[in-house]
Amino acid sequence: MRTLRTTVPVLALAALAAAGCFLISGQFVVHYAFPTPLSLVAGGTLTGVDVDLNTVSEYNDHKEKLKRIEDLALVGDFRNNTGAAASIEAWIVPGAALNLSLAQVQAQGVRLWGPLSAGANSTVSVNWDQSSTLFVGRQTLIDEIKGDGRFSVYVVANGAFNLTLTNAALIVVVGATN
Amino acid sequence: MRKFLLIVLAATTISTGAAQAASVGIGPFGGASIPIVQDDQGNGSVFGIRAPVQIVPLLRVEPFWSTSALGDKTVDVGGTSFTRAGSDVKTFGLNAMLSLGGPVTFYPFVGIGTVKFDRGGQDESFTSYHMGLGLGLSPIPKLSVDLRAELQAAAKDGASRKMGNITLGASYSVFSMP
Repeated sequence: MRTLRTTVPVLALAALAAAGCFLISGQFVVHYAFPTPLSLVAGGTLTGVDVDLNTVSEYNDHKEKLKRIEDLALVGDFRNNTGAAASIEAWIVPGAALNLSLAQVQAQGVRLWGPLSAGANSTVSVNWDQSSTLFVGRQTLIDEIKGDGRFSVYVVANGAFNLTLTNAALIVVVGATN
Repeated sequence: MRKFLLIVLAATTISTGAAQAASVGIGPFGGASIPIVQDDQGNGSVFGIRAPVQIVPLLRVEPFWSTSALGDKTVDVGGTSFTRAGSDVKTFGLNAMLSLGGPVTFYPFVGIGTVKFDRGGQDESFTSYHMGLGLGLSPIPKLSVDLRAELQAAAKDGASRKMGNITLGASYSVFSMP
């Protein structure tokens, strides 16, 4: 009887000890706002967004004890300024290079997100829930967030695209110990 | 903290007088689920079913299944608000607890299981650890009513999502041996 009476408390203490590390953790939202409005036009060199998460305090507070990337989103208003429907994609370039051509983006980068369909001369507001379903290159972004936190993002579309992004941002939820 | 532990220990010891015989019960429970240090989840509700099984005196095991609907969370990004839907959380596991006789019991418990978080763009399974305290009332034979406060930690890769669950449940003994 006495043995049994001590079993549960002992199991509880053992579980607490085993769980100690991961119990002292949490989920923290890190967001990086893109310049707004951001004009993106097809041409020789493209406009890339220089993302440096090290400038974000929430990232700096947790990057040393970062364990998991829990959630990702690329949100904002995506306007297609052309008279033809656009298929919008975001590409990540781990080397953080800017002013690349489309061919260079595709050679050096990885497709991160999309496609997002936008009708002629229309705006699509992408919310957090919708955006999370559009990621196709999660692992590359996760590696960058767990790495130096510095990369570039190019938002492109098919054909002779002309896009305007308003209030766009990259949202990352990190799991980190305290 | 020391006072609290002493109270728990005293209540546990005092109510250990009458151990129960073998029995199998079943019953529903429900209450509130409160995310702890999760910037991307809001408060929600939890409901479930459990089947307490008395296998030996003083020790009870309890398979359970529960479903939680965590609340939405809104984050401000550069003056624009973005809302993430809360996860649907489904847990299946097994608790072990001291089983103390009498009309009023106070018991600690621990448990382990598997938990799945599901929302748009996110569908992940974790190992679920549980620990908490319960207050059991048995107003009539075979029926017990339980009020519990529980810490649930869904762990993966060295971090965990934690919820504080406060539930009220009832269970009815469908089989018992003297």
